[in-house]
Amino acid sequence: MPEDTLFAEVLDPRNRADPYPIYARLRRTPVARQRDGAYVVSTHAAIRSLLFDPRLSSEDLPPSRRPPTGNPLKDWLLNPIKNRIANAHRPLIFRDPPDHDTLRGFVMSEFTIARVNDLHGRVAALVDGLIETCRGRDTVCLVDDLSYPLPVAVICDLLGVPEQDEPQFHAWATRLATALEPDARRDEEARRATVETFDAIADYMRALIRQKRRQPADDMLSGLARRGTRDRPAMGDVDLIATAVLLLVAGHETTVNLITNGMLTLLRHPDELARLKADPERAPRVIEELLRYEPPVHFRSRKTLGDIAVAGATIPKGAPVILLFAAGNRDPERFSEPDRFDPDRADIQHFGFGGGLHYCVGAPLARIEAEIALVALCRRLRDPKLLADPPPYRPGASLRGPENLGIRIAGIL
Amino acid sequence: MRVVVDLNRCQGYAQCCYAAPAHFELRGHEILFYDPAPPETARARIERAEQACPVRAISVEPAGLAEEDAP
Repeated sequence: MPEDTLFAEVLDPRNRADPYPIYARLRRTPVARQRDGAYVVSTHAAIRSLLFDPRLSSEDLPPSRRPPTGNPLKDWLLNPIKNRIANAHRPLIFRDPPDHDTLRGFVMSEFTIARVNDLHGRVAALVDGLIETCRGRDTVCLVDDLSYPLPVAVICDLLGVPEQDEPQFHAWATRLATALEPDARRDEEARRATVETFDAIADYMRALIRQKRRQPADDMLSGLARRGTRDRPAMGDVDLIATAVLLLVAGHETTVNLITNGMLTLLRHPDELARLKADPERAPRVIEELLRYEPPVHFRSRKTLGDIAVAGATIPKGAPVILLFAAGNRDPERFSEPDRFDPDRADIQHFGFGGGLHYCVGAPLARIEAEIALVALCRRLRDPKLLADPPPYRPGASLRGPENLGIRIAGIL
Repeated sequence: MRVVVDLNRCQGYAQCCYAAPAHFELRGHEILFYDPAPPETARARIERAEQACPVRAISVEPAGLAEEDAP
């Protein structure tokens, strides 16, 4: 298999359950040019150096840019307005400094330590309630029963999105997360669907923000929507909507994979499951090793602003770059026995939350949710066994995780 | 228990501040202040901070050992 088509194999759904052998082949060429001109970076050292390189840009054609309708009159009448809005929809994940830093500053000022840590009790109560609903059954469908509803409830709480509205944007969130996948961004049909979804979710957010301004509550959206003062300027409305959508989608589509991949990994390593059950203090180590071993996000795309020499290769200016985090996490140059799940490793320095200036804003929240959920699952599910291994996977190659995870249980403790 | 942070490694990710807010504090986005000798009762939180550090800048040592090393 030539190395310039290996990334196409990563995207192939047939390899979703175990992409790691392909990653190992990719690492033989740390910077591998693909046939479509993209450069895939797969070793720990090369990814690390690029994450801190200011010549690597996250600015990109927004996935929401409205494609031509095919009717020139309609394009002329409708699209300039819609395009102006869609083109301005560039959440901070697709921005470079200084704009990125300003937007991230707004988010961090609301994502306070107190607000995040106050969620402990709420997360524990949610986890207990969700596990309780499985009582009397002999199987748990982990994604539907816990991994999906938990982070959704938490992000809705944190942002101040009414939970009864959740079914409405469940499909929107999935659609927008799919738009991050490389395939979806090239396909015109998929782009059209993304734009329509974005219009719908943006309308919803606009109305919600209006309501938060009328009746502010103690939530992130109220804080972000607060009118600016001379000393404390506010975020513009377009950025505010983009930020709210980003946080909502991130809350829907990432932690679900951390929890599900986590339980799958523990069920594949029953000794580790037993150790976590006996000693919940092991949870932080288990979570960090999970973020290395089965991360929720496998890769992210960037673009070069200049020629960059890295790992013996030169990536030319203007080239798309794929930082294959999940491959760097299994780099034998960096980790001994990288394919072994071992929470007792002394040095788990992973790319599970990315790195550099785009490091996951929600990392502390994801850690709290995963820790409470996995400890509770290990302690309360009696004699859990996987129903299918490997389980069916969701389509995404980047935001990768099981579609569902059937677990046979002997009861709930 | 003795906590040592390699401030040359620290990149200001602030993950320790979320994990153990009483013992780590980031001032002005990049200057980390921390408690070098937290009480034994804080061990779980300190270990969370140690594990969560994206650059592995935090190390936790038994108090006795570190005191012997001190000049």
